[in-house]
Amino acid sequence: MKILIADDDALSRRLLEKTLERAGYEVTAVENGKQALEQLSKLEGPRLALLDWVMPELDGPGVCRAVRTRSEQTYIYMVLLTSKGTKEETVFGLESGADDYLTKPVNTEELRARLRVGERILLLEDRLVEARENMRFRATHDTLTELLNRGAIMDLLARELNRSHREKKSTTILLGDVDHFKRINDTYGHVVGDEILIEIANRLLGAVRSYDFVGRYGGEEFLVVLNSCDPAFAPARAEAIRKSISKSPIQTAKGSLSLTMSLGALMSSDWGLRSVEELLHEADTALYEAKASGRDCLRIAQPTAKTEPPAALLSQPMRLRL
Amino acid sequence: MERLGDSKLKHGSETMNKIEDSHSDPAWNQAELLERVDNDQELLRDLLNIFKEDFPLTMRSLESAVAAGDLKNSATLCHTLKGMLSNLGGARAAAAAARLEVVASAGETASLQVALDALKCEAARLLPELEAYMAEVRH
Repeated sequence: MKILIADDDALSRRLLEKTLERAGYEVTAVENGKQALEQLSKLEGPRLALLDWVMPELDGPGVCRAVRTRSEQTYIYMVLLTSKGTKEETVFGLESGADDYLTKPVNTEELRARLRVGERILLLEDRLVEARENMRFRATHDTLTELLNRGAIMDLLARELNRSHREKKSTTILLGDVDHFKRINDTYGHVVGDEILIEIANRLLGAVRSYDFVGRYGGEEFLVVLNSCDPAFAPARAEAIRKSISKSPIQTAKGSLSLTMSLGALMSSDWGLRSVEELLHEADTALYEAKASGRDCLRIAQPTAKTEPPAALLSQPMRLRL
Repeated sequence: MERLGDSKLKHGSETMNKIEDSHSDPAWNQAELLERVDNDQELLRDLLNIFKEDFPLTMRSLESAVAAGDLKNSATLCHTLKGMLSNLGGARAAAAAARLEVVASAGETASLQVALDALKCEAARLLPELEAYMAEVRH
């Protein structure tokens, strides 16, 4: 584990450095508080820190206060090294944001034991962060395909539409539906149906750019948002996405099955501030036309542009769940 | 080469009596230092070399600060010396540095020189022992 030592006394610094290296730590040693803060601000910087109280540039409590004012970073466990021993000074050090303090000269065994406490706290934090991230993922992603779920992609679409309107760029919405999916389920069972949905999700992800969005809109319906997509190129990109499904059979437990997808597309740089639901309705109408035209094809909606946003949309702040 | 126990640090005999601690205590606790470095001779040499370089410089800065009546700087330098000395097992000299730090922090200008002399006296007892040990561990 990485650890930072900040001490202006070269002798103390060297002693701590060697002691901690011997204990298996990856040590970074600096000689003042300003350098300490720089190290602790690095993305992959140390999360354990031993800070001398009295240092030039910025003292130990000053480093603690500066670190604690930042909320965006992972927790840093800080131990103040002090020769100060009064209760008032101890309280001051802890109130500045230190987690613990050690009196100099430091006893090696005590130092190691206190740092192990710090490691346990950091491990606990890692577990909490991991659990929170798992919960966040589950709340925003479809369990089967691991694509964005309906709520998440609707939120992202709303945000993207707002941005593209603000920056006067174009966004393309594709609503896709797997052709004859009910028949697949009825014939081969839901397990095969699930296999197909997973593979289709993978193919859709493989057919878009890293900054586009793909979500599972409903049972066998998928929503693709092509961000900053020039309308002149949108039909070709939509066709490429459609062909990514039909280009080769999908391998399932019941053999390989050929599938196709119908797509309804809506693309414009001149939508005004129309609601997500309204735009999706138009894309859905185009999808219906594609189905009616024999499936495995693309139909493009031609919406009437509205330049004035509906009052209701302007009066409500955009709801973002991610 | 400058010796750790240069004559500049050896005066101060008149303040010897002012030191509160018993002189029966050793100036240097070798066992404590060896335990601190976990008997690592290489680390020990590193620490002694750092001390040999930093201690005289810091002492000279402290003498200048005291002579100039610079209380803040005197306190800071004493703090550094205190840490350095206590890490090396020089408890008596570290205590003398601590007393000078207290005097400087309290703004007792009149007591500064006496406290400095006491520190020099303790340093003069400690340094020959450290120097002799350094010669020993070099081999």
